Amino acid sequence: MSFFTRKISRRTVMQALIALPALSLVRKLPVADPEAIVEVNGWILKRGDLT
Amino acid sequence: MIFDSYEAFRAVNFTAKVCILGSGPAGTTIARKLGAAGIPVVVLEAGSREFSDDSQDFYRGVTVGDPYFDLDITRLRFMGGSSNHWAGWCRVLDSQDFEPKAWAPDTGWPISRADIEPYLPEVHEILELPDFRPDVLVSDDIRWVQLIKSSAVRFGEKFADELDRSRNVAVVLDTYATELAGDGKRVTGAKLWSNGKDPGSFTADYFVVCTGGLENSRLLLWSNQRSNGGVVPNAAALGTYWMEHPTFEGGNAILADYSEFEVDATNEAFFSPTLAAMERLEIMNFGIRLIETPYPGIKSIIADLACTVPEMAEWVSHQLSQNLRCAAQLYVTWEQAPLASNRILLSKTDVDHAGVPRIELHWKKSELERRTLLEGLRLFGTTFVQKDLGRVRIANWLTNGGDYPTNEELAGHHHMGGTRMGTDMTKSVVDANSKVHGMDNLYVGGSSVFCTSGECNPTTTIAALACRLGDHLGKVIGA
Ligand SMILES: Cc1cc2nc3c(=O)[nH]c(=O)nc-3n(C[C@H](O)[C@H](O)[C@H](O)COP(=O)(O)OP(=O)(O)OC[C@H]3O[C@@H](n4cnc5c(N)ncnc54)[C@H](O)[C@@H]3O)c2cc1C
Repeated sequence: MSFFTRKISRRTVMQALIALPALSLVRKLPVADPEAIVEVNGWILKRGDLT
Repeated sequence: MIFDSYEAFRAVNFTAKVCILGSGPAGTTIARKLGAAGIPVVVLEAGSREFSDDSQDFYRGVTVGDPYFDLDITRLRFMGGSSNHWAGWCRVLDSQDFEPKAWAPDTGWPISRADIEPYLPEVHEILELPDFRPDVLVSDDIRWVQLIKSSAVRFGEKFADELDRSRNVAVVLDTYATELAGDGKRVTGAKLWSNGKDPGSFTADYFVVCTGGLENSRLLLWSNQRSNGGVVPNAAALGTYWMEHPTFEGGNAILADYSEFEVDATNEAFFSPTLAAMERLEIMNFGIRLIETPYPGIKSIIADLACTVPEMAEWVSHQLSQNLRCAAQLYVTWEQAPLASNRILLSKTDVDHAGVPRIELHWKKSELERRTLLEGLRLFGTTFVQKDLGRVRIANWLTNGGDYPTNEELAGHHHMGGTRMGTDMTKSVVDANSKVHGMDNLYVGGSSVFCTSGECNPTTTIAALACRLGDHLGKVIGA
């Protein structure tokens, strides 16, 4: 196991992976509202935070 | 006058019009009001001037359901009651707390906040409080509210001299009212236990039960059982709708520079929802306690952020680096949905030294409350984003649907309900004047009369209701 995977729970990694396609989608779609509220791994963010 | 025993009191010739059971904030406040109105009052207090293990033992009991504090730890049984160790955090229930909520059954009081407001100046004097500032709307959904951290008045200490000098108030210590006797219309007397013995009964024209938010139900349940319904003739709701203020760490936050609110002297600020937000989300009231943590606290939060959303960590460093202020822990306290199943019962197996059955407290948090906690944090997080106050992270156990942590505060030591105020006799025990339904001379003081709990600490409202009851009784007796 790498240092990275040992430090971070499997669940967190999975959640980050799940979130990633959505993030790249957002990047490709500049029309998406950057002020929209998104919840990632418990963080309450605005979509614009992720770009 | 203060008497250290029932024997000492019996030696003087003092005839009381009103007998108050319990010398905590509720009982002491009502006694002072009546005494000031020239009405002779006896306050029977089960404990003495000081804490003792023997006295505390009478408070032992069991809880069935969710984890809760030991019942002999969550309250104090001596002069001044639990004010001897309360924290002194003060706020009055909001006006919205008194209103019925269509989405939460059995909510709504028969009185409104306007009914207790005239007594708030007295309460400020009693509890030594400065004026409350009005709530500040941070967004359409979230209010920055004030919780005054007062000097925590110890009622036994503060009023001992005044009560000792009083000609109208006799406080009788070490005198446990084990049971009231009644004929379905009137209480006819109180059975006593003093100094390990039964010294007989005590009578007065009026009785006011102020033995605390657990003990009021216990005493009335036992009394009613012993007199075949003669003390609480409409007892369907007796002991039911018991409530606390569950309290858990619900997450943390990164704070930007903000001007929308201020932290107090201990770096804390408090937030609650607007009624519109509660209505929209169909949740109960809640209070978020934001505690600013020292700068190092922020590192772990940013590290978590970096692992979760690398872009977000960049946002933190680039966009907030100029004005990043600090991190904060977020504790949430919430209003419980009033449930008849949360109730005080008398133990069938365990009695105290005077033979009175101990309490069996049935208490469980509900799904609506779990949703209140989660949606409340989301609401708060959304306000933080929209107002660029920082960013909120909700704790894993909440987003994962995990169990409540067991290593935290659990609740506020706020014992509410059990003898609720109301008009529906199947769901309440006392009327809008705190008089037991169907009884001419029996009243209840303290937070057991709360119909709903709101989110704030109860004692300021207890004191206001006690002033109101003292005034009311004064008028009834004077008429
Ligand atoms: C650790 C802790 C911290 C708290 N912090 C806060 C806070 O910050 N803010 C807040 O608002 N509230 C707080 N509270 C709650 C607060 O202490 C109570 O709301 C308040 O004391 C209730 O007042 P009371 O008069 O109704 O009952 P009590 O204070 O419980 O007084 C009841 C009295 O009745 C006596 N008694 C009991 N049974 C009998 C009987 N059968 N016969 C005769 N006498 C009897 C008892 O000995 C006692 O003196 C806290 C409580 C605890 C335990």
